[in-house]
Amino acid sequence: MAVLEVTRLSGLGATLLVLLIGSPAWAHDPVFGLGPHVLYKGGVEVATEVHTDKAGDEQDTELGLELVYGITGDWAAGIELSYARKEEGPQSASGTGDVSLFTKYRFWRHDTLGAQESAAVLLKVKTDSGDDNATPALGTGTTDTILGLTYGYESLKWYRWASLRYRRNGENDAGLRRGDKILFDLVGGWRPTPPSYYEPDTVWLLELNGEYGKRAELNGVELANTGGTEWFLSPGIFWTKRNFAIKAGVQIPIASDLNGDQEETDYRAKLVLEWHL
Amino acid sequence: MKQFLVVSLLFIWSLAALAAGTQYVMRVDGLACPYCAYGIEKKLKKIDGVEKIDVDLEKGLVVVEVSEGVEITEPQMKQLFKDAGFTYRSMTKQPL
Repeated sequence: MAVLEVTRLSGLGATLLVLLIGSPAWAHDPVFGLGPHVLYKGGVEVATEVHTDKAGDEQDTELGLELVYGITGDWAAGIELSYARKEEGPQSASGTGDVSLFTKYRFWRHDTLGAQESAAVLLKVKTDSGDDNATPALGTGTTDTILGLTYGYESLKWYRWASLRYRRNGENDAGLRRGDKILFDLVGGWRPTPPSYYEPDTVWLLELNGEYGKRAELNGVELANTGGTEWFLSPGIFWTKRNFAIKAGVQIPIASDLNGDQEETDYRAKLVLEWHL
Repeated sequence: MKQFLVVSLLFIWSLAALAAGTQYVMRVDGLACPYCAYGIEKKLKKIDGVEKIDVDLEKGLVVVEVSEGVEITEPQMKQLFKDAGFTYRSMTKQPL
């Protein structure tokens, strides 16, 4: 049992990294943050994304496939499947990651000429479905819940978003509970040339992403080398043509205050290809 | 004879005009990006007889050309734009 716990703990750092990124693709939303965009009623969004994190000798890469359905013009729901590869020093593993289910409801919208201002709530549940027997583990062995609140303003020239998310992590069979997380995002966007409906469109983004994590607990005892705060500055791009979009960005750490002895994040990167059908 | 010819020409012209269909120009708020507006195009294309769609984001206009005999109504458009995630304001129509 003790060996099993140590094994699971050794995968804690990598697990923390990957799970932070789990923000669904969602149309014209920020790359790393959360925006209020949903999908038109009856619409289907298919997105495939790859993201990678590096922190010291830990490197995680995840390939995700998302399907979203527009239930109404203001409410959408979807599923996210993932395939993960993790490296921790000399150890590496790859296979299916955890499956997530999510829904977003836009509860407020104010439309004016060439601009849209709105706010939405998000609920996401990451199920205990990935391979957590691999070393390092590819799933967390827990069911986690994320609740998010977001505001966004989009115009033909400028964009701005703000969001707050709380992640409640479950406890695995070994009694390990990763610390809950609070994620905070402020995002600005700029469109250099006026958009034309049938022409390609580009929006440049700059995100400020803050993450605060509580300490993890093992059988109710706090673990010293877990949790803390990290801030990232994240340039990104959103390129679209008709119903196809490419989103890409890099998270660059600008400040870090992690508890105890932990590897700081070197970088994170994300690329999303998205279709509206 | 001359009068008959003029009347006949007018009749043929009016028939041609009718056959050319109707153009609807709708004022819509919230149009801030082409990618987001794709849902409008998709929904309009589901209406039988819609032949051409254009979106002018800067002016907030959605222009739809429909074939002869096809009618687009305000309640229909209000619902369509609501389902697409935008706000319908007004509509004008003119024969093509």
